[in-house]
Amino acid sequence: MAERGGSCLDGQATGMAWSVLAEVGRLLEELANRGQTASIDLRSLPLTDADRTELEALLGRGEVRVELDLAGRSEIWETGYPGAWWIRHRGAGDRISSEEIAVCPVPEILATHPADIEAAARRLCRTLRESGPAAAAELSETQLETSHV
Amino acid sequence: MSDKNSVPDKKPDPAQTLGERLAERGVSRRSFLKFASYTASIMALPPTAATAIAQGLANARRQSVIWLSFQECTGCTESITRAHTPSIEDLIFDFISLDYHHTLQNASGHAAEAARETAMKENAGEYIVVVDGSVPLKDDGIYSTIAGISNLQMLEETVRDAFAVIAVGSCATFGGIPGANPNPTGAVPISEIITDKPVINISGCPPIPEAMTGTVAYLLSFGAIPELDHLGRPRAFFGEAIHDRCYRRPFYERGMFAKSFDDAGARQGWCLYEVGCKGPVTYNACATLKWNGGVSFPIQSGHGCLGCSEPGFWDLGGFYKPLSTAKNDPLKWAAGAAAVGAAVGAASAMAARNLRKKSLKAAAAAAPKAAAEEKE
Repeated sequence: MAERGGSCLDGQATGMAWSVLAEVGRLLEELANRGQTASIDLRSLPLTDADRTELEALLGRGEVRVELDLAGRSEIWETGYPGAWWIRHRGAGDRISSEEIAVCPVPEILATHPADIEAAARRLCRTLRESGPAAAAELSETQLETSHV
Repeated sequence: MSDKNSVPDKKPDPAQTLGERLAERGVSRRSFLKFASYTASIMALPPTAATAIAQGLANARRQSVIWLSFQECTGCTESITRAHTPSIEDLIFDFISLDYHHTLQNASGHAAEAARETAMKENAGEYIVVVDGSVPLKDDGIYSTIAGISNLQMLEETVRDAFAVIAVGSCATFGGIPGANPNPTGAVPISEIITDKPVINISGCPPIPEAMTGTVAYLLSFGAIPELDHLGRPRAFFGEAIHDRCYRRPFYERGMFAKSFDDAGARQGWCLYEVGCKGPVTYNACATLKWNGGVSFPIQSGHGCLGCSEPGFWDLGGFYKPLSTAKNDPLKWAAGAAAVGAAVGAASAMAARNLRKKSLKAAAAAAPKAAAEEKE
């Protein structure tokens, strides 16, 4: 990956991709047997660009792909092995700020937080109160009365 | 209809949590989780810690920070406020209330000092003091004064009711350039003055921005100080030598060294050990986090590490002198081994560790002695 750049080993695969793949397999077993979720921080591993490309190819792509737009772009996709998700967060200059493989039914970041749901309900109610059809009707009546005067 | 992204013009309620506060500005809990994933990653915490960080941040109150600048060059401020487009990394500035900072605040003179006093009073026992710059002790500290008082007086007064102190930059952590030989102002690091409060040292000239923001995020999330090394630095950022994570390390192991900055070895990216790189004795995260948003770091740009995050780096014997020919020559035998290729790797690493121990011991011994002399 060019943005990590500079390593003399970047063009060479070191076999790390297969090690990570084995770890993903073990974690998927844990998820299937015990419902245990887990994550692997890819930035903490000495992966070369070639390793990363190899790992991405080995895991493949599944049915779900999501793009988030929050303080920079984020991409999440389910790999070809359901339950293993690739999560790539981008920060300043669209550079990767964190990257992990989450082994779980659904990545936590996709679920709406209860606090956000509460805030959404309050905001929508306020909008309806201030700008909904009832408010609009009330406003029209006021305008009508004013024009008569 | 109200704009969910609009900033409310009312004064923020101090009891409001960060989650509530940012929700008013349209920042969702997903953003917290994304920031938390980023923080966990840069602090080498397990990815599963992200949930706890996000929860901790969302429930925290906005943290009052008082930033004191003493004998310094403002490079540390330049580093933490690096200009980028608004991004996940910048969310930290929504989590803190920077109540006093010479360079960044609008107020000046009496109004500036009043802001510091108000922040201290309103957040007694809870505010964080960040200090960049060393403190001069010679001649009653007259070499650096602010608002008519010495740096020492201002530091002691401000830290009295603080929750924690973060010394940023090599001047505040180890004396830095003001403390370099012959140390004309009697400059000392913060940890030498403040002994009754936790002092977190984030060294570097300047420090890596993520080391500063990550530490503050950790403090906010967990209400505790991250694990520190023997020099009071967060292990997450200072746990490994630059050399250990350097992409040129394979050349070192094979004994392939650039002999000058324009020879064939330098052009092919060989190890810069013999042109003075201090990577083997320098503990910092430059090789992994890099600079300017992860673009590069000095060694990747073709220059050896200066060792700026280590005590006494300015007096280590010259930036372009290899460690093996430095004064006292503790690595002489290792340099000889360079000729036999890979053997130099292990030998130099061991000798470098010895040199580091010696330099740290010397710095530790010299600092109190110098301070005592100045006090006399």
